[in-house]
Amino acid sequence: MKLIVVIHTTKYKENIFLGSERMDQTVYIRLRHRIQVRKNDSIILKDIAQIIANEEVYGQLEKLHVYQVSENDNNIVVIDVMKVIQLITNSFPRADVQTIGPSQVIVGVISKKKKISFPVFLSVWLLLFIGAALTIMNFHEDVSMRIVHQRIYTILTGEVDEKPLVFQIPYSIGLGMGMILFFNHIFKKRLNEEPSPLEVEMFNYQMDLDHYVAMNENKESMKQIDDI
Amino acid sequence: MGAGFVAFLAVLGVIPRLTQLTKTMKMIRYYELAVVFGAVCGGLGTLWEPSFSITKYILIPIGLASGTFIGMLAAALTEVLNVFPILAKRIGIDGKIVYLLMAFVFGKIFGSLYQWIYFVK
Repeated sequence: MKLIVVIHTTKYKENIFLGSERMDQTVYIRLRHRIQVRKNDSIILKDIAQIIANEEVYGQLEKLHVYQVSENDNNIVVIDVMKVIQLITNSFPRADVQTIGPSQVIVGVISKKKKISFPVFLSVWLLLFIGAALTIMNFHEDVSMRIVHQRIYTILTGEVDEKPLVFQIPYSIGLGMGMILFFNHIFKKRLNEEPSPLEVEMFNYQMDLDHYVAMNENKESMKQIDDI
Repeated sequence: MGAGFVAFLAVLGVIPRLTQLTKTMKMIRYYELAVVFGAVCGGLGTLWEPSFSITKYILIPIGLASGTFIGMLAAALTEVLNVFPILAKRIGIDGKIVYLLMAFVFGKIFGSLYQWIYFVK
């Protein structure tokens, strides 16, 4: 119904300007989920939202100034949809703003391109490496893996071997293979198209962070009694 | 024990992950059977203590398979999955998370080899 109205208004543009019965201009706004800007950037409406509006307002709407990033901003700024609606209605009093999708946009302010320091990376790599080695040894001791290996060796060959390396070395290599298989990754190459559990977990973590930020950095979303 | 074993498999999701990788969802019933059959054989093996005289090289594929299974279990432990995203964010290497994963994989292989070859007297 609304869409029809929009088409109608564009078609009879002259009439609208001349006539007294001016119809509301419907503006559809869908805020983006997350955007990145640099320090001292000026954010306009086009940056933070997808817009559908009729031609006469679209050009101005697109360039509507929303926020100026300053030096003393934190690295995350949350812009609430209510603020956006307020800005639009200030400039276009007759606009009928319809919002779809997220009710705030998370603006990440990037100061400089951060370089990964190699020593930090290396120490984390070693930490994981040593930790993984230790935990697998713990696990093996915990479940008496050595005795089980000896037992399997004896069952199948009928001989006794204190160190059944013919079983244990393929077993160790298999450990690594199993993990790679599970994560579906061999360095850059992927075994199939689906996202790996790790990527899903990364995504979930990012969503949790975004949700937290949206609630806590957004002053409008909470009201507390400040007097103590 | 048996119930614990099944719960362990179900929670960690090794079988779902395998069916997802190989796109063989329809065969999942047979995978269940394989697990049951394997558990029964393992049980018989430990209690009854049979002894066959097969060449010891049969142990190479069996070792590889058991290692792969334990590796998948280790990878599926949710603690591992939770640690990586946080770590990658902290040191700011979202794109290079694979290298951290490789640290984990090589650590497991190294730890296991070390234990079998040197650590055990």
